[in-house]
Amino acid sequence: MSTQALNGSNETIGEVQLECKDLGYSYSGSSFIFKDINLKTYTDELVAIVGPSGTGKSTLLRVLGNLIPPTTGHVFLNGTEVKSPSPKISLVHQSIATFPWMTAVDNVKIVLRGKIEDKEATEIAKNMIGLVGLRGYEESYPKEMSGGMRQRIAIARALAASPTIMLMDEPFVHLDELTANSLRSEIYSIVFNPVNELKSVVLVSHNLHEVVQLADRVYVMGGSPAGIIDEIKIDLPRPRSEEEPLFYEYVKMLYKDLMPKETK
Amino acid sequence: MELTTITLATLASLSRVIVLILISIVSGWFLSYFAVKNRRFENIYISFVNIFESIPVIGFLPIVLIIFITGLGGTLGVEIAADFLVFDAIVWNIWIGQYQAFKTIPQHLIEVSENYNFGWWGKMRHLYIPFSYPRISSDIFPSFADALFYIMVSEVFSVGITSYKVFGIGTLIVQATSAGDLNSVYECLGILALGVVVITIVFGDFSKHAVAKYGLNTPTEIKRHFVWRPHIRKWRTVASPTFQFARYTTKMKTGRENIQTAMTKVRTSPSFERSGKYIGRAIAWLFLIFIGYSSIHVILSIPHSQWLGYFEQTPNLLYQMGIDYIRVFVVTVVSFAFAISLGYYLANHKKMSSTITPVIQTISAFPAPAYFPLVFAAMAPFLIHNIPFAETEIFVMILCFLGTFYYVFFGFWVGVRAIPTEFLELVGNYKIGFFTKMRRIILPATFPYLVTGLSSTINSAWGGLAVGEYWPNIYQNQTLQVHTGMMKVISAGLANNDVGIAAWTSLLFAVVVGVYSIVFTRNLMDLARKKYVIEEGIYAA
Ligand SMILES: Nc1ncnc2c1ncn2[C@@H]1O[C@H](COP(=O)(O)OP(=O)(O)OP(=O)(O)O)[C@@H](O)[C@H]1O
Ligand SMILES: [Mg+2]
Repeated sequence: MSTQALNGSNETIGEVQLECKDLGYSYSGSSFIFKDINLKTYTDELVAIVGPSGTGKSTLLRVLGNLIPPTTGHVFLNGTEVKSPSPKISLVHQSIATFPWMTAVDNVKIVLRGKIEDKEATEIAKNMIGLVGLRGYEESYPKEMSGGMRQRIAIARALAASPTIMLMDEPFVHLDELTANSLRSEIYSIVFNPVNELKSVVLVSHNLHEVVQLADRVYVMGGSPAGIIDEIKIDLPRPRSEEEPLFYEYVKMLYKDLMPKETK
Repeated sequence: MELTTITLATLASLSRVIVLILISIVSGWFLSYFAVKNRRFENIYISFVNIFESIPVIGFLPIVLIIFITGLGGTLGVEIAADFLVFDAIVWNIWIGQYQAFKTIPQHLIEVSENYNFGWWGKMRHLYIPFSYPRISSDIFPSFADALFYIMVSEVFSVGITSYKVFGIGTLIVQATSAGDLNSVYECLGILALGVVVITIVFGDFSKHAVAKYGLNTPTEIKRHFVWRPHIRKWRTVASPTFQFARYTTKMKTGRENIQTAMTKVRTSPSFERSGKYIGRAIAWLFLIFIGYSSIHVILSIPHSQWLGYFEQTPNLLYQMGIDYIRVFVVTVVSFAFAISLGYYLANHKKMSSTITPVIQTISAFPAPAYFPLVFAAMAPFLIHNIPFAETEIFVMILCFLGTFYYVFFGFWVGVRAIPTEFLELVGNYKIGFFTKMRRIILPATFPYLVTGLSSTINSAWGGLAVGEYWPNIYQNQTLQVHTGMMKVISAGLANNDVGIAAWTSLLFAVVVGVYSIVFTRNLMDLARKKYVIEEGIYAA
């Protein structure tokens, strides 16, 4: 493929974090949504998945987190097979789910309850809310917040669980461009923060600029049943700028991959 | 007894129930539509329904029957009274459910329907009515069960030595049981069971389909092969554009929020609003006063010398009422515990649930009063021998439980199934502990269903007491009666032609219940409906 040139070498940074082998999923009885999916994430890596609407990206994330068990294949975290859901792999849903009867703090704290002391939980929850830029809204109810604010609460909640892997399904789609941008860089600095337990992020996005901005590697999904039709390593220095000519090369490349074409 | 007679009687009773349910549903659609369109009507309507929903009119069963019988005369009186009681037992739940469904239709869907000029009927058909299916389906089953329970006990009614009856399976069973004609009893029960099973299956499929298809992103999978295929095809073509639209529109606000903003835009004067509420309350109070008045009317027809007796008995009557409150409380707590544990278990064991649920449904729909005499006959010798002190108490509790538990059970069960997938995944993802999950997620999420279910359970428990505390000739010539209990005072009073004491006691009960429901139940419901709406937790469903 023409992408080979830009892919560069296949050598990797650090150890494998999340890995799946020959993953396939079908909703009971119907045909496979996707099949033979193999992907890996490495330490300190942000991996993006792109693909046309309805290819099964959200479903793939659910399977990766074992929120729905795979029909075929296996998922491994640090070499151990994942057989049940765990906070180690936290999913941030495409549709924002916050509990209407809980304040922001309580919505975040819910993942810590019964695990650590209440005071400590509150502390962590408040920190995370601060981290996503919602300081001052700790006692607000979701109803009193905009969609983007609620999404940030959901992200704070995922972070509070101190996951190794974070699966994010279109996390920035409800945000205005400015907030999205600042949150993108936040997410980025969290991933590369050595103190944090978060090792890699799998990001599903329709926004190719966002993907090129953030991702170290991109898997392109397509076909029916869907499979990985391409893997692109984004070899751009950070901080990345859209001004850079190479930036657009990557966007174009992804765009081409996503264009309808005959299955190979 | 002729098999044809039995079949006809079963059909007669079941049709009463079905027709009343249909009337409730259809009238509910119109009333709810007007309510969401007209602020003033909404206020009247909602306060009215709320008050009634929390009053156990069914607890006034004997006195209501008397009022209708004396007012309209024998058979017609019983027919209307029976229908009235059944209607009262089911209608409030259905109406309030429809209203809430209409109220939570996302604003963008309403805008779509207005944008494309659906017209009034088009909007009803394509949007409002389909949107109310999940709620109706959650209400329809317990309503059916409750209705059947009360139709059984109100088809025949005796005052003194006169017995009034209408044609129906309840009447046949009572006749056969008191005649000791067990074969006929079994035949009746068999045919009734058949009818109940058929209706349960139909309702069950409707409910499953409604939750899967018209609920917001629930885990229940949409089933393509539905028994009422022609209807469904119609529904599907009719509703799917809007629903797909709902699913794939991402940047929309939740319905309630928009409706609220939309509503604040509608100019309403506060006094206008308040007057609406007052009218609603006034109508509800009028009804209570009507019952009160009728009771007083009956009391006035009693010689003066007896009045004094009633006043003297009042403290004792209040004490008996207290005992009944304890009974209702116990039954409610047991039903609640049962509902939560079983409902939770079933929600987590899909395979189990698909086999057990229809069984529970059939059992709960099978009206306890119909077969209870047999339970009594079978258990009485054993209980009298082993626990003579609590024997009647146990019977009354069992009857109450059988007649009431399903309301809260099905409420909870439907509530759990209505929780959007994302939340369940969240619970699994973060390994939220059982206790936290129950206390902070499952119970609050099902709170609106639980409150409605509990309120109905409490109301039905009163009805159960009305039936069970005094049941003359329950089996051959035995009589089931408790030692202490207000409902017994009422029922026994009527049976012994002492209408005055029954009326006076009902009046006392009406006052207590009125105060209790307005102070307590209504506020609880308000809270549930304002704060605990899980569907609102999903942004961009
Ligand atoms: N609960 C379900 N039952 C049956 N099929 C489903 C269900 N959820 C999703 N699907 C099917 O799975 C396919 C993949 O859906 P999924 O939501 O994973 O797509 P996606 O790639 O995330 O799309 P988008 O980019 O629009 O979010 C869809 O074609 C859909 O038909
Ligand atoms: Mg998706």
